Amino acid sequence: MTKTSMTKSSLLLLGLILSLTPHGAAQTPAAAPPATSAAPAAAAPPPAPPGTPITDADLKSIPTPAADARAKGDPDGSLTGNVSDIAVADPITDKTPKAKGLTIGDMANQVGQNKVAINFMWTLITGFLVMFMQAGFAIVETGLCRAKNANHTMMMNFMVYGVGMLAYWLIGFAVQEGGVGAVLNLGNSPVLSKEFVVTIMGKPWGMFGQGAFFLTHNGAYDVFAMVLFLFQMVFMDTALTIVTGAAAERWKYAAFMVSSFVMGAFIYPLYANWAWGGGWLANLGANYGLGKGYADFAGSGVVHAVGGITALAVGLIIGPRIGKFTRDGKPVAMPGHDLVIVLTGCFILAFGWFGFNPGSTLGASGNGNLRIGSVAVDTMLAGMAGSFGAMLYMWLRYGKPDASMTGNGLLAGLVAITAPSGFVNTVGACIIGLIAGVLVCLSVEFVEKVMKVDDPVGAISVHGTNGLWGVIAVGLFADGKSNYGGSWGGVTGNVTGLFYGDPGQLVAQLIGVSTLVGFVFTFAFVINWVIDLVIGQRVGAKAELEGLDLPEMGALCYPEFELKAHSAGAA
Amino acid sequence: MMILVGLVVTFLGFIISVASLGMTSSVEGRMVAVLLGIVVSLVGIIGVLGRYYSSKAIWRK
Repeated sequence: MTKTSMTKSSLLLLGLILSLTPHGAAQTPAAAPPATSAAPAAAAPPPAPPGTPITDADLKSIPTPAADARAKGDPDGSLTGNVSDIAVADPITDKTPKAKGLTIGDMANQVGQNKVAINFMWTLITGFLVMFMQAGFAIVETGLCRAKNANHTMMMNFMVYGVGMLAYWLIGFAVQEGGVGAVLNLGNSPVLSKEFVVTIMGKPWGMFGQGAFFLTHNGAYDVFAMVLFLFQMVFMDTALTIVTGAAAERWKYAAFMVSSFVMGAFIYPLYANWAWGGGWLANLGANYGLGKGYADFAGSGVVHAVGGITALAVGLIIGPRIGKFTRDGKPVAMPGHDLVIVLTGCFILAFGWFGFNPGSTLGASGNGNLRIGSVAVDTMLAGMAGSFGAMLYMWLRYGKPDASMTGNGLLAGLVAITAPSGFVNTVGACIIGLIAGVLVCLSVEFVEKVMKVDDPVGAISVHGTNGLWGVIAVGLFADGKSNYGGSWGGVTGNVTGLFYGDPGQLVAQLIGVSTLVGFVFTFAFVINWVIDLVIGQRVGAKAELEGLDLPEMGALCYPEFELKAHSAGAA
Repeated sequence: MMILVGLVVTFLGFIISVASLGMTSSVEGRMVAVLLGIVVSLVGIIGVLGRYYSSKAIWRK
């Protein structure tokens, strides 16, 4: 086959795919975006000739690369991937010479499967990135703790992955996503459609999912359910690992295991169902006319605020570390043991956030998903602005650009942009991040000096306070330009915040905030209070002073190093 | 006892916010009620629970 004939056949194949796309995938937005005046008419692709039907015969006439040409190899890739790679339902063979061969139906199915395949790949790979954030959290938290507790802190971060996953597989995923319904990007499968709904004030309120226990119940042994499980599981684990930081250096390991299991099975999935799984918060727009309903693109509220607020509940119950406050209530600095791994961990987290936020489109093809570039840029800009905000605040207030708080500023910016990343422009992202960077410093001071809550890594402020700020920021900065299939929360139109004309969206976001501080906190507190009464949340004073590595874990993290007296807690 | 009071106040804030959905259809009215609910919840967490645990803290002993 000549290169010219290959080019012609490629163009015909491309034309066929383009002409079939609207029929193969339900991705036409309800409100088509207006054409931009900046686009010159000459740049538009030439319209297909009207009234030219495509027939199965056209498909059969598309030439394929000759066997001898393929046998010589394909160094430039021009021969690999052609019409012969399309799956044919009724192939012509020696035994079935009268079969239909390649048909338009085969082509349409291939187009549809390619779209879903792209979206599966996108969702899985971004999920893998989020999974790696566990490593970032582990070394950030461990580095911010003292060396005598390094094994214990690292093990909590290591096993929260396993404990959380087990709980989520058994129960949590079913509660969260069991009634989410069909997801357009991931193949429209109906297997997760069993939501428990009650009628309140004359409107249906989705309360929790009931399908997909053990990923086998209700037909959940399904490719779509598997992809969604992986992606949602790593998000859930992010929320769980936030708590380990706030309770570090005095949390009894057994209590941590039980608390994390319950959080992965019930606390996190319940709020996630309300926001993402077809629950009542997501439907505040459809049911009560509040914007497009509670909008939390990647989880400032669902993941970070739930984690941070649960951390506050545990922090109150468990109490401060010995020596954290003087007898008159003045806080004492307890520096971590390794700033190198703290800042390295922050970079790992920032890298993983490119999975967290852009991956939350659950696809790269169709339904406005090409906005992933904007989501990714918003994410990196907000992180940058957050690190600047915190560094400048600390520099101006205390005379030095504090390294650990600058790292926390980066994370605060990333946390705050997580909910708005799908709805705001780059200027909005920078403002949100900058405010987050300052806010995390103010919040750390408030939590420590006013509330007298000991949070060794600043998790309550980074994730709790800035998670709430991110939720509110959607209601302020969403610019109404994103279009994920033309609707959000069952309401036609784009998510638009107060500054762009929709105060109802801000009210929906504030109801989410109220649910987090009023319901999630109460729920998490009660669970952890009961755990405290039954098995005790806190280690004994002797173990705490000695360091938890030997009493709780049976081995020192750094056995060949002699720890300083004050580091070992003797002073 | 103070723990229960704190939890009730915190949860009450959530109820106030949710109840705003049925009490009025105006955006302004709902916003005021929701903000009130958030403040009530924060009073429960910071003013009641926080103060209680702070009064019993290990550093006071």
